[in-house]
Amino acid sequence: MAVLDQVTNANVAEPLPKLCRKLWKGKVAATLDDDGRICRLTCRADYLVQVCQWLMRDLGFAFATLVVEELASAGLSLVYVFYRDAPSPWAYLELQLDAGMTQVPSISGLVHGPSADWHEREAEDLFGLTFEGHPRLGEFVLHEDWPEGVNPMRRSFDARRRKGRELDITWEPPTVVVAPGAFAMPIGPVFSDFAESAHFLLETVGEDVIRTIPRFFYKYRGVEKIAEGKPVDRVLLLAERFSGTAAFAHGLAFCQAIEAIYGIDVPPRALALRTAFAELERLRHHAAVITGICNSTALAVATAQAALIEETLLRLSCDVSRHRYLFGLVIPGGVSRDINNEDWEHLVTAIGALAERLRDLHQMLRYSSSFLDRLEEVGIVSTEQAITYGLVGPVARASGVARDMRKLFPYANYADIDFAVPVEQEGDGYARLRVLFHETEQSASIIRRALLSLPEGPVDAPHASRHAGVALAVVEAPLGAAFHWLRVNEDGTVARYRITPPSFTNWHGFHLAAENFAFQDFPIILASFGLSNAECDR
Amino acid sequence: MADWVLKGLRTGIKSTAYPQRPEKASGVSPGRPIGTSLGSAKRAETLAELCPTGAIIRDGRNVTVDFGRCVHCYRCHPNEGDEAVSWDLSYEWAADRDQLAAAKRKLDRAFGRSLYLRFVDAGACGACVSEARQLNNPYYNMHRLGFFTTPTPRNADVLLVAGPVSDAMRIPLRQTYEAMPTPKRVVAIGACALFGGVFGPSFVASGGAAEIIPVDVEVPGCPPPPLAILHALLVVVERKPPTPLASLPSAQSREMA
Amino acid sequence: MSITTQLFALFFVLCGSGAVAAFILPTRWNPISLAVFGTLTALVLLAAGGLLLLGDAEFHAELWPVLSLGVMTLAADRLSALFLFVAGLVFLPVAIFSGSYLVKYLCHYSLRYFNFLYFALFASIVLVLLAGDALSFLVSWEFVSIVSYLLVNFEYKREESSQAAFVMLAMSEAGTIAVAIAFLLVAVAAGSMEFGALRSAAPSLSATMAGAVFLLSFFGFAVKAGLVPVNSWLPLAHPVAPTNVSALLSAVIVNLGIYGIVRFNLDLVPATTSRPGLIVLVIGSVSALIGILYATVESEMKRLLAHSTIENMGIVAAGIGAAMIFLATGHQIVASIALIAATYHLANHSVYKALLFLGTGAVEAGAHTRDLDRLGGIARVMPWTSVFFLIGVMAIAALPPLNGFVSEWLTLQTVLRSVLLSSTPVKIVFAISGAMLALTAGLAVTCFVKVFAMGFLGLARSEGAANAAEVRIGMRTPLALLAAACILLGLLPTYVIPILDRSVMPLTHESATAALVPPFFSLAAQGQEAIPPKFLAEFHDLGAQVGEGLLPGRGLVVLHRGEEHNPVIFAMSTSYMFVALTGILALTFVVFRLATRGRTLARRAVWAGGLRRLWPGITYTATGFSNPVRVIFGAVLHPAAGEDSTEAVAQHFRTAITRDQVEAHIVDRLVLDPPVSGLRWLAAIVRRMHVGNVNAYAAYVLVALLLVLIIGAGIF
Repeated sequence: MAVLDQVTNANVAEPLPKLCRKLWKGKVAATLDDDGRICRLTCRADYLVQVCQWLMRDLGFAFATLVVEELASAGLSLVYVFYRDAPSPWAYLELQLDAGMTQVPSISGLVHGPSADWHEREAEDLFGLTFEGHPRLGEFVLHEDWPEGVNPMRRSFDARRRKGRELDITWEPPTVVVAPGAFAMPIGPVFSDFAESAHFLLETVGEDVIRTIPRFFYKYRGVEKIAEGKPVDRVLLLAERFSGTAAFAHGLAFCQAIEAIYGIDVPPRALALRTAFAELERLRHHAAVITGICNSTALAVATAQAALIEETLLRLSCDVSRHRYLFGLVIPGGVSRDINNEDWEHLVTAIGALAERLRDLHQMLRYSSSFLDRLEEVGIVSTEQAITYGLVGPVARASGVARDMRKLFPYANYADIDFAVPVEQEGDGYARLRVLFHETEQSASIIRRALLSLPEGPVDAPHASRHAGVALAVVEAPLGAAFHWLRVNEDGTVARYRITPPSFTNWHGFHLAAENFAFQDFPIILASFGLSNAECDR
Repeated sequence: MADWVLKGLRTGIKSTAYPQRPEKASGVSPGRPIGTSLGSAKRAETLAELCPTGAIIRDGRNVTVDFGRCVHCYRCHPNEGDEAVSWDLSYEWAADRDQLAAAKRKLDRAFGRSLYLRFVDAGACGACVSEARQLNNPYYNMHRLGFFTTPTPRNADVLLVAGPVSDAMRIPLRQTYEAMPTPKRVVAIGACALFGGVFGPSFVASGGAAEIIPVDVEVPGCPPPPLAILHALLVVVERKPPTPLASLPSAQSREMA
Repeated sequence: MSITTQLFALFFVLCGSGAVAAFILPTRWNPISLAVFGTLTALVLLAAGGLLLLGDAEFHAELWPVLSLGVMTLAADRLSALFLFVAGLVFLPVAIFSGSYLVKYLCHYSLRYFNFLYFALFASIVLVLLAGDALSFLVSWEFVSIVSYLLVNFEYKREESSQAAFVMLAMSEAGTIAVAIAFLLVAVAAGSMEFGALRSAAPSLSATMAGAVFLLSFFGFAVKAGLVPVNSWLPLAHPVAPTNVSALLSAVIVNLGIYGIVRFNLDLVPATTSRPGLIVLVIGSVSALIGILYATVESEMKRLLAHSTIENMGIVAAGIGAAMIFLATGHQIVASIALIAATYHLANHSVYKALLFLGTGAVEAGAHTRDLDRLGGIARVMPWTSVFFLIGVMAIAALPPLNGFVSEWLTLQTVLRSVLLSSTPVKIVFAISGAMLALTAGLAVTCFVKVFAMGFLGLARSEGAANAAEVRIGMRTPLALLAAACILLGLLPTYVIPILDRSVMPLTHESATAALVPPFFSLAAQGQEAIPPKFLAEFHDLGAQVGEGLLPGRGLVVLHRGEEHNPVIFAMSTSYMFVALTGILALTFVVFRLATRGRTLARRAVWAGGLRRLWPGITYTATGFSNPVRVIFGAVLHPAAGEDSTEAVAQHFRTAITRDQVEAHIVDRLVLDPPVSGLRWLAAIVRRMHVGNVNAYAAYVLVALLLVLIIGAGIF
């Protein structure tokens, strides 16, 4: 098991603006922010593709998200956000379109383009942009009955009114496999058992899945649109609840964005508690994914053992925070409630015991050959594919991409706590399982360290200032990097809230793992990714 | 394989004693606000305004709680001892939507100890789905009560719905409901399925499952704990009485009881 | 002239008239004239064959003498009569079907030519079956080969048609040569070509000569019968021939191969050891397995049915091989049972294969495609065709109470009778054959479930299938006739078995009727062979005396009792099964109706997992259905991956993924390819002699002359 140690110096000899001036004289303007965290580049649409290529291929930046905003009195503005797996400023590539203009060159055709593919399709559906060079693959977020030409994220669209729908539309995606007797096997949107809704078409000739056509956004609730114009405390509810299994992480990201905008200093005790609670959520989430993996391979006793651990963690969360999923715990400025001594002791001992049980379970699973048969060398994502598709989280770390936002852009208390980030190289189901188990160990250790060194003091910082501003907050949610872009107005309402959850990024790479394996492996590969549709669909 | 057998035997029986005996373990329920007498109209007004979904309603100097609208944001109950609403840690939350006629009740008794569930995720966030999934874990073990899941609606008796019914799931939900043979019951789980939750009626989400299909039993909460979902299933088969959604202040409820 | 001679003469006259009428009448009347004359000829043949088979008639005619080779004679014994009757039974519906089917060729090909060839084929088939001496046999055999080649190549404008027909002709000729040599070898020993003379000369052949004769004749006739390893022409020829010709090929012409094997190796030159029988048994079982394996993974209907013909002929050959072994080891009754099983299966196969082929023709006419991957959903719009096809499918999958079940049951019973044998190696071979036949039966069910389900049920997968329409009555009537024949042959085995027994008795010299269908209900039982009281008691214990006094003759139960030291009873009655099945179904129906009297019935759409509606692209195809078999038997089928390619726009958006799999038949790979490559290698070596220099060729001539002189001088 390889471990990501302290990241050493990156390979950028010169600062980004200087490089930019040398290569793109006059075509691209680059400025570095005062605190050196963000480098803003502006260019015209004709150079967009080349600059992105330069950033991604030559300088090794990874694509994070594409934020499209419709600011008052101007056309659409696009911000392409890039980051690097090494200490380096963020790169925001800003493109301003004139009013009425909707054509933008697509960067999905580049070698690292797939990481931007779904962002462009989403912008197409929701804003009406046309990305040249991107094959229009049809409905993505809005399904086939949505009227053509109506884009809900535009200002002119009223979020409260429902539009008329066309009822008798059939959806038949283009099939790509050419072989005698090829057909597509439909799965979903209503799955068997307790599963989230999504749809998969598996193109096959009978035994092997040759191509998967996934279809998401069956659970699209328009969170980004509903948030516009609402006060911050109302949007906090949305941020927590759009993905209930990672509520604390997303709520934390939202609060961090608010704190960045308003310049709030979070007290140290709150930072430490935030760390502890975030890791508690990560532990519980990973226990749930492990339960899912054991369930998919029908190993009944292991499923029961993992489910017992998950339920214990849920009850533990409820004991220390009143809610089994940590709802209502994080607020801008700190946490909403402190932890008393009794709960503190309970948490410290319980976490130790749970880590022990997880270690036992891992040990037993390691020697169950029938279980490993289903996971080893099944559902492989290579390192190169993980980089090209910009995958994040445990899935990427199992494929050799050592990317963890807690180390790259430390938030809460993480900079002060020493922990390891487990990385595996094989990229198969078993590698992902091992990463999950090792991360639970690390989480347990982080919780103990955070609690044992808990500073005294208040747990929230009151704030009253209100001004307009914009910030990008990033957290390492249990499933990977989550990017929250927030712009607030003068009166404290939200102007634009763009969420790029890790499931959205990783679902895009799912088909790489599922193709060329048999039908029976499909549910197991699905379980080994452990992704959330609610998080992806928002 | 023998290792697993021994491990399972050593772990023993973990199932809860509910419904024979109430569950006393901690952490099984996030609890809920109940109607409280506050003694001052101003305090009642402040409290009512704190609630983002309008679950707390001022009634003179008291507050009543429409529990169907609670999303567990805890703004009305930040810490104990504050001027907060009273809290109870029960979990039997399922409510009857309509007065079920006697004829329909007879059918429910017939389900007895063999009830087949079909779960449809109509836009729920992962929490309701996760709580429903816990019904199969050794702690709650719904099989011992005769509740089973089935992959096809053709064999299902009860349809469990979670989520505000996002646009794209309206037709699948409707189709699932119609594919079930009568007699069938619908249980709506979670605040979103009751009134749309924080996502509310919007351009892509309905205001709850009742807008699409007829709902028989509602389980409030965000998310409702597994014991509340069990309670709802027991209400369907008439092994437990339902609990009303509106909670009056304790004095009044004592008068009425 | 006896009545049979008159009937046969009438038959040939009608054939000639049919051929002549083809040229006299205007072209558009040709299909009708074929139907009319074809029906008449078939009826006459049925009459003649029936008289010979069921009655006591005889037929013997001497034709003209040929050079010094003897007189050409025609003679029909009960064995020929059986094959004649089956041929007539198949030609009748085919003729009716052709009346409507041939209309599609009106403007493209010459139907006069077709009619002429049709009657020529009919006449030559009958001549083969009537041949009484080797010369007439070989001449008519050759006629059959050539005329069937011409008919198969009827759509000569198509490239694949010519190629396939040529392979068929080449293999037929090779087989004919082998058969001719076998006949000649025996004729040389007998001094005459007549069958009677050959029969008496057979015992005087030396062991090696007998062995050589057996091998030559068996493999020669196996070509026509479509047994492994000489079956390569069958799956090539059937898809390219017009459908009514395919039906004749599979249902009548392959029977000629079996007729040849039975006539030559059981009648004329019977085997004295069990070795020939073992060879036949093994070849039969292997053919059965390979045939059904390739049928299961095939999705073009006619090629699938062609592979299935190989399978069924394998089963028949297995029965014949078992009979030969039992005969050689002295168990005549069991040999009779084996031959009855084989001939029963032959008759059944002719009937249901003709039904399936004509059904395919109807499907093609109604839905415009024969590819199972492009059919689907036609059961609703073509109900009659579907019902008759379903009967054919159930028969070929050997489901009770239809005819396929009876003959498969009998075949497996004879294989189990191998406990009687003393030699352990032979018993082991029997056991392995039995296992192969059982596996074949299982695969057959898979294969034909696939055919019916993918072809008729579900959603239509192509335009043609979506716009399908029921075919005309002219095409449905022959299907109905054949379906009725399937049902009758299945429900009344106790009447069929005595007839078959009388046909095979001359070969085995023992009757098996009493052993299989004892006359329990015969009112004149006193005059018949006495039934042991113990047997009678066991019969009553089985409850099989139901219907005593009501049912005539031998009742409806097929029963065989084992030996003293192994007194196991095998019993089966398809008629009682039928009654029980209909009874249970009717009872269930009535109960269900009563129980749901007050309830409403709701009809809902198919549950598709929440999708708005199903479209054909997401339903299973025939290839997908049979893919597990392809994967499991991959070692045999040996699919070689052909071109696998992926096209993409910008590397990431794939626009086409092509998967190609090439399958070469195992027989071609193992049996035909090595000699062919050996020949090519040899030819390459010989080619080196062609230096291109005239002087060198002159030198070759000189050398050859010198060699001849030396050898000539050496010998004399």
